[in-house]
Amino acid sequence: MNDAIHLFAPNKVVSRNTVRWLVTFQLLMLVAIWVFSPTVFLPKPGEVFQSLHDLWFEGLGSELITSFYLNLQAIALSAILSLLLAYATVIPFFRPIVALLSKLRFLSMVGLTFFFTLMATSGHELKLFLLVFSVAVFFVTGMAEVVAAIPKESFDLARTLRMGEWRVVYEVVVLGQADKAFEVLRQNAAMGWMMLTMVEGISRSEGGVGAMLLNQNKHFHLSAVFAIQLTILVLGLGQDYAIGLLRKICCPYAELTLERK
Amino acid sequence: MASHTYGKTLLKIDNVSLEYDGRPILKNVSAEIKDVIRPGCTTGQVVGFLGPSGIGKTQLFRIVAGLNPPTSGRVTINGVDRPVQAGQVGVVAQDYPLFEHRTVLSNLLLAAGQKENDSKVAHDKVMQYLTEFELSDKARLYPVQLSGGQRQRCAIIQQILCSDHFLLMDEPFSGLDLLMLERTCALIQKVANMDELNTIIVVTHDITAAASVADHLWLMGRDHDLNGNCLPGSHIVETYDLIERDLCWEPNIITQPRFMEFVREVKDRFRGL
Ligand SMILES: Nc1ncnc2c1ncn2[C@@H]1O[C@H](COP(=O)(O)OP(=O)(O)OP(=O)(O)O)[C@@H](O)[C@H]1O
Ligand SMILES: [Mg+2]
Repeated sequence: MNDAIHLFAPNKVVSRNTVRWLVTFQLLMLVAIWVFSPTVFLPKPGEVFQSLHDLWFEGLGSELITSFYLNLQAIALSAILSLLLAYATVIPFFRPIVALLSKLRFLSMVGLTFFFTLMATSGHELKLFLLVFSVAVFFVTGMAEVVAAIPKESFDLARTLRMGEWRVVYEVVVLGQADKAFEVLRQNAAMGWMMLTMVEGISRSEGGVGAMLLNQNKHFHLSAVFAIQLTILVLGLGQDYAIGLLRKICCPYAELTLERK
Repeated sequence: MASHTYGKTLLKIDNVSLEYDGRPILKNVSAEIKDVIRPGCTTGQVVGFLGPSGIGKTQLFRIVAGLNPPTSGRVTINGVDRPVQAGQVGVVAQDYPLFEHRTVLSNLLLAAGQKENDSKVAHDKVMQYLTEFELSDKARLYPVQLSGGQRQRCAIIQQILCSDHFLLMDEPFSGLDLLMLERTCALIQKVANMDELNTIIVVTHDITAAASVADHLWLMGRDHDLNGNCLPGSHIVETYDLIERDLCWEPNIITQPRFMEFVREVKDRFRGL
């Protein structure tokens, strides 16, 4: 009973069980709103699941694997690239370069695609380039900010322990910020899925869920569009959870000071 | 008065001045710490820099630690003709920083490994300190899981493991209750007396606590012009030799009338700054 009141008070910590009830209740509400929504164009759950069933037999599974593989490759590449670039900002020479790269966030893909096409040797490579570029500009911005925000005291501690400046960078910037790096990765890995549709639309040779989604959308098969979106959402949640779990395992200290665990 | 002699110079602050954008903060600060030798016992050194808030204690602290260079003058240790480098002097900053991403044990092993190449020896040394400072059962915890006092001890051990006998402490007495204050004073003396050459430099505005642990005190202050206005740039205005005054190495010294008399004297001088 107390827990029920706590649900509406600020900064209250509620038990796991209560949270489970709360989430179940809110999910049910969401489904109810969906089922009873008066909007004509909104496909009903039954239709969506029928579409999902049909799409599955049209090869949704293998398209998902294609897209997932592409996305994984892109996330890995942009993570490596962005982390290296962000760590490099400890060296003054690289700071303007990284600052410029992070400003490229404002550009759209239009026009840039042309140059990437010239560089790429295959459709897969083109999609990979586009994805890596569009994720990396956000990733490097987030991570460079993390590096810039490290307080002086952390560096001084490492120096008073007789570390050379390279060792200081490794201890304070790389190891010390690992938990935050995971968090930045988590945010930007989600961006990959958002960009996927666009990128797979530009080069459709390999297919993938993005291409499938665009096809269904063109023919106004809204229930199919919803079905595909739903699968992407589930996959994305899985990815988010996996990165979160990895962070928990690698950086157990990160959550110790939080009020909400 | 206890019999004692002085050995070699351990740390020398030589005419140190510091300016920020042309504004003088420190002006010709000089002080010399010598090895205090007492026959028959291992005696480390504890000295204190006293001064009101904003006088430049923390700035001097950073210079002595080798973290910031002075505008002119220099700090040398053990008579070596070279300015002090970061790492030679252990530094315990006010908030007791530790690497939050490492456990207590890992923090200490890292520090021990910086000086000791043999990992077995380093490990044994860490274990010995952990036992001595009652932290053995905390070895696997992360710094955020320690109490304030445990964190302080951990930060102190980390710095002793890595430095050459020197330990600088910025405001080690601030925000402590009576019991913790006494324990910190005892801790400082214990660490100091672990080795003949151990030297602890305390930077603080807590006169009583500093006087109860130190063998020498330096009071920092500024000059005044004829109208009583402060002139910029602080320096040492008074040096107190507590050995000379027979205020050292005596248990329960703080209950003695002559100690209270001394503290009153310093406080009066402090108010006049
Ligand atoms: N980065 C800086 N730039 C300019 N002035 C500074 C800077 N850092 C410190 N100061 C000045 O140096 C003076 C001494 O500061 P410091 O922190 O050493 O004082 P303190 O004696 O440690 O005082 P407290 O007891 O309050 O800690 C202050 O007047 C401060 O304004
Ligand atoms: Mg200070």
